[in-house]
Amino acid sequence: MLLSLLHNGKPSMSTAVFANSDRHVVLRRILGAGAISIYFSAALPAAAADAPTGGMPGTRAFILSNIYVGNAGETGACGKLTDSAPETFLKSLPSSEQQNYAAPDKHNQLFALMQKQLGFKWIQLAQRNQNKNQLSPYWDKLVIDVAPEHARIEDVREQAGIPEGKGAIVFNHHIVAYDSCTDPQDFPMLNTGFHPYDGKLAFGIDLDGKRGRDQFNSPSGEPGVDNQLWRVLGCMKHFREFGNPENADGTLFSAAAPTLIEISRIDDTNNDSDVSVAVFSSIDPLIADGRGVALANASYTIDTRPELIAHTRGRIVNGVLSTDPVDLTMHYKEQIIDGIRQLRGVRIRATLNADGSIKGGFYGYYMLDSFYDSIKQMTQLGANLSNLSCPVIHSALQRYADGYPDATSGRNTAISSALNFIGVAAFAIQPSAIAEGSRYAH
Amino acid sequence: MRIKLVPTSRLYLRILKDSLTLSLLCSAAIYSIANCATASSKPAIEPSITLRRLTEAQYRRSIADIFGNDIKIVGNFEPDLRVNGLLAEGSTQVSVTPNGLEQYESAARSIAEQVTDEAHWNNLVGCEQTHADPRAERCTATFFRRVGKRLYRRPLRDTEVATAVADTLAATKKLGALRSGMSATLAAMLTSPDFIFRIERTANIDDNNRHPDATPLDAWSRAARLSFLLWNTTPDDELLAAAQSGELITEAGLARQVERMMASPRFNDGVRAFFDDFLRLDGLNTLSKDATIYPAFSPRVAQDAREQTLRTISELLVNRRGSYSELFTTRRFAMNRTLGPLYDVPVATKDWSFYQFPDTDPRAGLLTQISLLALYSHPGRTSPTLRGKAIREILMCEEIPAPPANVNFSVVQDTNNPELRTTRERVAAHLNDDNCASCHKKTDPIGLGLEKFDGAGRFRALENNEAIDSSGELDREPFDGAAALGAALAKSQVASTCLVQSAYRYAVGRAILPREQSTIARYEQTFVGNEYRFIDLIRTIATDPQFYTVAHPVQHAAVADRKETPL
Repeated sequence: MLLSLLHNGKPSMSTAVFANSDRHVVLRRILGAGAISIYFSAALPAAAADAPTGGMPGTRAFILSNIYVGNAGETGACGKLTDSAPETFLKSLPSSEQQNYAAPDKHNQLFALMQKQLGFKWIQLAQRNQNKNQLSPYWDKLVIDVAPEHARIEDVREQAGIPEGKGAIVFNHHIVAYDSCTDPQDFPMLNTGFHPYDGKLAFGIDLDGKRGRDQFNSPSGEPGVDNQLWRVLGCMKHFREFGNPENADGTLFSAAAPTLIEISRIDDTNNDSDVSVAVFSSIDPLIADGRGVALANASYTIDTRPELIAHTRGRIVNGVLSTDPVDLTMHYKEQIIDGIRQLRGVRIRATLNADGSIKGGFYGYYMLDSFYDSIKQMTQLGANLSNLSCPVIHSALQRYADGYPDATSGRNTAISSALNFIGVAAFAIQPSAIAEGSRYAH
Repeated sequence: MRIKLVPTSRLYLRILKDSLTLSLLCSAAIYSIANCATASSKPAIEPSITLRRLTEAQYRRSIADIFGNDIKIVGNFEPDLRVNGLLAEGSTQVSVTPNGLEQYESAARSIAEQVTDEAHWNNLVGCEQTHADPRAERCTATFFRRVGKRLYRRPLRDTEVATAVADTLAATKKLGALRSGMSATLAAMLTSPDFIFRIERTANIDDNNRHPDATPLDAWSRAARLSFLLWNTTPDDELLAAAQSGELITEAGLARQVERMMASPRFNDGVRAFFDDFLRLDGLNTLSKDATIYPAFSPRVAQDAREQTLRTISELLVNRRGSYSELFTTRRFAMNRTLGPLYDVPVATKDWSFYQFPDTDPRAGLLTQISLLALYSHPGRTSPTLRGKAIREILMCEEIPAPPANVNFSVVQDTNNPELRTTRERVAAHLNDDNCASCHKKTDPIGLGLEKFDGAGRFRALENNEAIDSSGELDREPFDGAAALGAALAKSQVASTCLVQSAYRYAVGRAILPREQSTIARYEQTFVGNEYRFIDLIRTIATDPQFYTVAHPVQHAAVADRKETPL
């Protein structure tokens, strides 16, 4: 009876297997989603009464297959594109030398020359018992007593000959580097050729309620969009290409630890004035289907570390979810990157599609250190793998940062941003439910 | 309802042919292995009544049981043959081709090398050349006597043991190491028809109750029949001991062994093996779907769907002592994370668990599991005809003729037909053709009941935006939807009779003989009386002395004339 009332008199699409599911719905109503353990959450479009469903009634969850800095598609906004570090270095060479290194097949030689002339260090970590033949023949090696993933920069810096307080462990904990990405301030000669994005369009929303000339219009015409991160990145070839939704929506990224969004206390998936929204990180990798896109309706176990869980409230209007601001820390784990995305004051806006998928964005302030860390982790010989210029990005981030000023210095520590995302229906599983799941096993 | 019968005389002819073929093939194998003149090259075994080639699963399980799970069996085996719907029935009708023999030989060499390698020697062989036994003859004899009994499912004759020892010594001398000598002889035994085939023999046992045309099997053959029925593997030491002592010949002794084996967790293996064969789930090994239409389906899904069905069955029928009819209505499915997305359910554990679908859910019973739904569909669309045919042939033991060669499938295959938007509408075209209608009337009304599940087994309410009508009829009984179809099958006497017949055919590896009709009728009666509990049916068969008989080998003079050496 209670369940029927909670669902506006509609029969539940699923009573699933859980004898206590009704009780949980009631508890959720009283205490809020964050106050009790969540067992399963399901993402399901409105379906026929006899459609099979699973998970908690009134709850939808999504696994995000890509979160990216979106390119709103305005053409002609960049007179010139920002130079990458190798391009800047090449221009600094005498014209006779430039010809020797200009061709694409000379990139490795150009990198080597840059490394030599600018004093970059690139040292591969190896355990004492590791077969040295397995190490790269191109870089210096450093034998350490612990596994590379446990090495600390302080412990290896001196052995590697890196100046005090400098350098970083990058490349999935296997490289100790000192270059223009780990220490951009040490290489001002590469901090040239920046072109900010001066277009009118950018993804995002009005975060601060203020109007000014630094703001954009959204592709849907919404004015006052705060997205200074796009101002920094919008004329860089890498972000223009990979931020294009046509490319990005079909790409699986951060697949090693994807992000989940769960919406609960839903009475009506099209219009509901009060829903609970949680953002989780999955400890399971993203699962792809036969087409190479995210598989719908898969189960993912959530990472229960408190810093990786965020709760907020929201509302659904005509199938579009909007939330109150919330601080987010999301895993960012893909190939050589193992970091976090730390955003503050994030509002989620997303369309809940009839096919069970979701598309929208995290609109808020990206912490500078967190964003730059992801750039730094892509470093290779001082030239970002994506052919960016780390000193340019680092400098521009400081210049255009517009939020969360440091209490002491007054310097802004975050930059307004819009991270687009796309996802499919999923089930968010609490590890506690895994133990409980054994109830159903013989 | 029709069941094909294999005439008795034809069966014997095939056995004779198989024996001859095998004999030739085995000679080839024996000479290919260093210095191995095995017992199988000598005409010293009793006249055999039936030969059943081990299925691949039985071969693998037997090796694991005898030598341990860590012995790897590499390579593929010759495909098993399905006859009258059962691989078990095909197992009595297959021999070994030259190519197949190469595969057996390759596997045998690999197994023998592992058994005699340094890692396994002490545990599995343990022979050393000592002062007291400088050529390890006694130890070698002990080893082959022990292992040979498990491999051949009977004790080795003294002459066989002596030959094995002599062969080992000769091979050791030639190859330079006792391990190599043992390995060569063991490989020869693993390639022997005594291992690859279950050779059943008769014995002179007084039994007033048996049919005058039936001859009882000897104790060793009984042990093998029982073990492969209940555990799908070679007899264990206790069962062989019961054979040796004569316990298996007595009804009480047989019942004791049956109870012991059915109480073992390994009974699940036997039940799984039967249903894997009965439901033809091996087809999932090679099942593929169009990834653009069914992107969630993958080879892994197919593999886990097979496992899901077998786990669901063994949980219900064995662990919960459920009835066969419940298989068509159960909402308790084994589940894992590979299958969860297709069922659209959360799966908490990363291993297998059980998921209970609510009573309002359209999923109910085996017919709504991905294994059968996907197996009996086309790569890119459903097929009420294939699904209905599978139900008729497998679950109801009826035979549906193959379609004529000149059928025009274009209408049925055109899933984008703007006029005929649902499968129901498209298959109706068949019913307008008198040539097709007679068969399709039997299959399609059943298969249409499963139309709310697509070709990969996912639920769908719509097809081309049209609501799907999943009503149908089973032998003039109307139903609406898959759950109702399952409920109708659960009540079907034809289905329960089919199961009894199939279980018996599986157990004996051949078609039912005319003289066995009364036996089958008795089984059916008992099955009904036991509320369709499958394990009781198996117990009935396994404890029935009739099960341990074969037709009198009067026509078997050619084989019987051979010289015999008693075991």
